Amino acid sequence: MAANTLRLYLTCIRNTLEAAMCLQNFPCQEVERHNKPEVELKTSPELLLNSVIICRNEAERCLIETSINSLRISLKVKQADELENILTKKFLRFLSMRAEAFQVLRRKPVQGYDISFLVTNYHCEEMQKHKLIDFIVQFMEDIDKEISELKLSVNTRGRLVATEFLKQFI
Amino acid sequence: MACFERESPALKEILMKLYRAEKPMEVDHHLHEFGAVEYHVQASASGPPYIYLSISTPLLYQESMLSSGLPRYTLEMVKRICPDVAEIIEPPKERYQLTLRLDYWRIPHNKDGLKMIASISSIQGVILSSQLKDMLMNVNSLEVSQGMYRPIKLIYHPREPFFVIKQPEKITAVFPMRFKEATDVIIATAFFQELMDMGSSKAFAKAPHCIWSPIPPPELRGEPIEDLSTNGGFVSFDITARHVEGKRLDKTVWNLLNFYAFVKYHVKSTRGFIQRRMRMRLDALVEVLHKAGIEDEHQTGKKGRGSKGKRKLLTFSKSKLLKKRYNFIDKIKRIRYRIKIHWFSRFRKRWLSFPRFSSLKSYERLN
Repeated sequence: MAANTLRLYLTCIRNTLEAAMCLQNFPCQEVERHNKPEVELKTSPELLLNSVIICRNEAERCLIETSINSLRISLKVKQADELENILTKKFLRFLSMRAEAFQVLRRKPVQGYDISFLVTNYHCEEMQKHKLIDFIVQFMEDIDKEISELKLSVNTRGRLVATEFLKQFI
Repeated sequence: MACFERESPALKEILMKLYRAEKPMEVDHHLHEFGAVEYHVQASASGPPYIYLSISTPLLYQESMLSSGLPRYTLEMVKRICPDVAEIIEPPKERYQLTLRLDYWRIPHNKDGLKMIASISSIQGVILSSQLKDMLMNVNSLEVSQGMYRPIKLIYHPREPFFVIKQPEKITAVFPMRFKEATDVIIATAFFQELMDMGSSKAFAKAPHCIWSPIPPPELRGEPIEDLSTNGGFVSFDITARHVEGKRLDKTVWNLLNFYAFVKYHVKSTRGFIQRRMRMRLDALVEVLHKAGIEDEHQTGKKGRGSKGKRKLLTFSKSKLLKKRYNFIDKIKRIRYRIKIHWFSRFRKRWLSFPRFSSLKSYERLN
């Protein structure tokens, strides 16, 4: 059931991204010889499209904001307990600090979300559009998987260490 | 203190140096360990072949400290380390609690000799564990027979005291757990829960019963608030008579004394494990994106096979053209700067500098 809802959630995000990712070069209307992502500046409302929020549940959601030359995708990852919470925070902070390796990753997430991507028309020119969408969807899958695996590993390590400690008394 | 090895590595090294020396050596070393433990090793080259080893260490239980020096039980334990080689000097040297005279010519040059040196190096562990051993052995003391279960505060590390509570048929050791960071608290809490689960399983029925609770246990009622304020909760171990029988006593005492160090080591290594794993994962994630970029370039290359000139046009994006242009400017600069004229550089900077082109791709930082 959970896998099915995840598939639906990811398919919905994929379809929305495919529809939203039609970006073109558009110079800034305010400053001459400047080319800025309009989704970040939000200076000209005519260049912005309606933002879309896709929710899997209360804890997991995705915000897609689109403009003429850029697209911002913000993700909120599920955090069931304290351990998942710190693992998610640690991992996403780790990735954000290495944002230059990802090109499309934003250093600071949008308020209320855990991680944000900023895709501009230049990214779409340099990389294939469908590959970029694949990357974002796979990133979402991998993050979920990685955090679950990390939690499991931390608990397993704890159990092994506890066993070794108690063994010494016997 | 926060060391799983009983022997002091520095002390062992000095003793080994003296042990391996063919001639008597002049030695006068002052060693400090964990901030509060102090050793003084003294040997003379001309005098009798003795090493004088003095030690000063904070005791677990300050009330057990006698005016004359260490408690009787501790002195007995020290005497048992190497009765043929080590002798307690009375009174100890000034500022030290214990002074030993080691007759190192009597230490045999074989495996037994190395064992002796290792046991002498672990003298601080012997002193500290002897106090807890004494408490654990005297289960049926006067306090218990009178129904007074007063917690005894033991300080193994100045910031990490723990309590021992004598009760009928058992002794409870309570560890208030404190951590500096919230991450450490959560990792440690996960570990304590596993410890509780494993302790209550059938496989570890003979191990001490372990309980973790975020609030202080009722036995600690009345203790100072600073001792009871923690962020990691309280871990309790119930030590029964079977855990202090024969050789088990030594292991039990050592495990209890090192519980803090054990937990902290686990937390530290878990953090390292998480960091390693994240780094590995980063590479895998980046690879996916790079593949997308590489494949894109590859496909663009394939598309432009029709004519040579057209292919070139297709492969050069605006940014690449700009980069090429920069390189061209750099080349001109290099040619121009080959001849150096004194004071000309200032003039050049002021009047002949090339205008900087801002990349179309660069964005301004937003707050």
